[in-house]
Amino acid sequence: MKTVKYEDEKIKSRDIMIAVPSMVISIGVLSYPKFLAESTIAADGWMTIILGGIIAVLYTWIVAKLAVSFPSQSFLSYASSLVSKPVAICLTLLFVSYGISLTAFEIRAIADISHQYLFERTPIEVIMLTFLLVVVYAVSGSRAGIFRLNTMFLPIIFAATLFLVFFSIGYMEVDNMLPMFKTDLQGHLQGTMDSSLSYTGVGILLFYISLVKDPKKAPGSAALGMSSAVIIYLVVYLTCIAVFGDVTTENIRFPFIELAKSVEIPGGFFERTESIFFVIWIMAIFTTTVMAFDVSVMALNSIFPNITKTKIIFFLSPFIFFLSMIPKDFLEMKTIANFLGYFGWGLTGTTVIILWAIYKLKGGKQNEK
Amino acid sequence: MARSLFNRMRSQKQTNQATEQTKFSIQINKKLDDNLKNMKQMLGDPVDLVIRELILGGTRVAILYINGITDGNLINNNILKTIQDNLKQLESNGSKDSKDTNEPNESKKSKETKDSNLLDKVYQEIIAITDIEKYTTMDEVSFAVLNGSTALFIDGMDTVLLMGTTGGESRAIEEPDSESLIRGPRDGFVENITTNMTLIRRDIKDPNLRFKTYEVGKSSKQKLVVSYVEGITNPDIVNEINRRLKTIDIDYLSDSSFIEQWIEDSFMSPFPQIQSTERPDSVSSSLMQGKVAILLDGSPFALIAPTNFADALQSMEDYNQRWIPATFLRILRYFCAFLAVFLPSIYVALVSYHPGMIPSILTYSIAATREGVPFPAAIEAILMAVTFEILHEAGVRLPKIVAQTIGIVGGLVIGEAAVSAGIVSPIMVIVTALTAIASFSIPLYTVTITFRGLRFAFIIAASILGLYGLVLMYIVVNIHLVNLKSIGIPYTTPFAPFFGRDWTDLIIRAPITKLTKRPAYLKTIDEQSKNPKPERRKG
Repeated sequence: MKTVKYEDEKIKSRDIMIAVPSMVISIGVLSYPKFLAESTIAADGWMTIILGGIIAVLYTWIVAKLAVSFPSQSFLSYASSLVSKPVAICLTLLFVSYGISLTAFEIRAIADISHQYLFERTPIEVIMLTFLLVVVYAVSGSRAGIFRLNTMFLPIIFAATLFLVFFSIGYMEVDNMLPMFKTDLQGHLQGTMDSSLSYTGVGILLFYISLVKDPKKAPGSAALGMSSAVIIYLVVYLTCIAVFGDVTTENIRFPFIELAKSVEIPGGFFERTESIFFVIWIMAIFTTTVMAFDVSVMALNSIFPNITKTKIIFFLSPFIFFLSMIPKDFLEMKTIANFLGYFGWGLTGTTVIILWAIYKLKGGKQNEK
Repeated sequence: MARSLFNRMRSQKQTNQATEQTKFSIQINKKLDDNLKNMKQMLGDPVDLVIRELILGGTRVAILYINGITDGNLINNNILKTIQDNLKQLESNGSKDSKDTNEPNESKKSKETKDSNLLDKVYQEIIAITDIEKYTTMDEVSFAVLNGSTALFIDGMDTVLLMGTTGGESRAIEEPDSESLIRGPRDGFVENITTNMTLIRRDIKDPNLRFKTYEVGKSSKQKLVVSYVEGITNPDIVNEINRRLKTIDIDYLSDSSFIEQWIEDSFMSPFPQIQSTERPDSVSSSLMQGKVAILLDGSPFALIAPTNFADALQSMEDYNQRWIPATFLRILRYFCAFLAVFLPSIYVALVSYHPGMIPSILTYSIAATREGVPFPAAIEAILMAVTFEILHEAGVRLPKIVAQTIGIVGGLVIGEAAVSAGIVSPIMVIVTALTAIASFSIPLYTVTITFRGLRFAFIIAASILGLYGLVLMYIVVNIHLVNLKSIGIPYTTPFAPFFGRDWTDLIIRAPITKLTKRPAYLKTIDEQSKNPKPERRKG
């Protein structure tokens, strides 16, 4: 049905700006102050966050820039033109597997955390299945709808974060932040590694930028989006350290949620704010999961254009569900999280470097119109 | 998939209709008696059919109309009386004509010319009605007569004069019950479309105001008017609405809601995708924003499209109050919408899954009041919500006098008695009552119904998975909303897709002087709604 031209499968660069933090902010934020506190002393982690953040922002900009060089072309088509079709298909399949495992990981993580903060007795399978069904519903809708969902949820997530930080001010202690500049180089390196690993999911840009109407602005928007995520990370980290101190933070599994536990909302309407906070955070995890899944579907669809989106989703969903059942406990989850971090960075990084190099070798600007 | 199926069905229907359109038509006979007999036969000789025969200048003529749907005064004063006043002049003409033509073999021809002279004379000089036309087929005449026109048959002529005398009893303009305002115009639409169009015309004296007319209803032949302002409204929206209206294939439309249901984007959605209103001021301001209004003869409800989620929580009252109180009211309404949908489910989730989240003192008092209540909180909530729905429905359907009794029975007996009998806890009664009041503060009734339905979905979600279920349900509703459209415009604008400019009239209602632009999401041709900085302000 041809209607008013909102060009439904097209998005604006502003949507990319919102999609990047929506993708990056998920489970990682809840736990990473812990890992950062392990490798740095007191509040020294802020330097590593900024360092890691700068790397991540640059990296985002480069990824976006590469994708923008081929406006309105799918990843598969421009990758094929640069590195023969079989290689491009392999790369795409790698992205699909990354997207699927990320989806499965998020689903499992949400079930684990719900178990810890919301209810103990409900079987995790039920939690996972309901969440997966909602994700499937979202992915089955229009792609523009997913970007609209991001636009709806991101302000809520930012507001919840700021709200929490604001109410923690009363619990902050300056002593927890001191002494400064005591971390050695090794710690800083480790911290930078940890923090940049948290910024996963930039790979979506390789796929989503082909939908952008005004691609010229996209790299800037993507970098801006990433910067906002970095700021959120920084604020969250500093708040956690200021409230708990680095030793305590080190020993809490999800310092950010525990932060919500320690604050008290004036008025006394709710106690145990952490449950409310986690419930809101489900939206953040949800947007990440949906985009990871959607990118996988989109990538598969580019390889198999004859199979409908719905069929791909129905084929992938049970697979994702079983994949998410694999990890046995918290430690395995941590291993998988690390693996996914490296996988994401490695895959996107290698792809971008190879494609850039060949793009430049082949004479660069020819493809631009 | 259901959508595409439905579209296919629609298009099939459309082709069927096209084949039916080729209608036979009976020509009008030259003999007056035959014509009158045919008319009587076609209409089944009803009692309200009035035929008045006259003799004009030696020729028999007949006036035919249906009593009740015509304006009696108009027929008496502007047709009969003028004819009688001119009778003498006509008769003298007639006799003069007859004198001139003495030859017998020419008499027939001359009679014809005489009759056509008479017809022209009546058409041009005598009838004092502006809306007058000539017709030659019986079908056209019968439809027009059924529509309230008066037909004038002349013996020996195969042409009929039809005079627009539509009238009869209709409701006076009253203040609409469905949307009452403290401050604002008191007029509301009525069932008569001409009056409704007049009401809009009185508000907007713009030469670009368009009323595009359709006829819908195979049997009812109702007039449907699509109204918009050319040069403001996005032509894509108008074209799309026109395209959808053309697919309507139905016998009779009892209300404009039929059109709404026929042309809406998704019939699987609980949300109304087209706004309906009884207020001319609401229609006029929507037209000036760049929306399209649809009026239907016989319905006091005008449709406004496209609409979005935010429109559901806005009232004309907001513009009639000063901006600070108006903004306060808006925020209050958003809060009420939240309560109306979420309050019972939050209660259920907290009491049955997360009692630790309620402040401990409150937990004790809730536990104390729930002592002896045999049901879990979810059942209790559904029980009370259903009871409230029954009360509400009964109150709406009953005559107003009896409805008061419902209020007493519901409020006192069920609320009080249910608590003292130990079926529900007093806190649940508070929750239900608060929810009910909150849902009544939403200005559009259609949206209230939607929220009432959603409330049950949320209660069920909360009773199965607690807060987790609640937030999943919230996400599901959001997914539905972002995929929903109203005439091709995303339903969640201006939240997403984001239009910063439209936020001046969204949750806050900026001062009128600042609302200088039309809503950006409507993509209007003319963006400026008023001069941003009038000259006089500079001094």
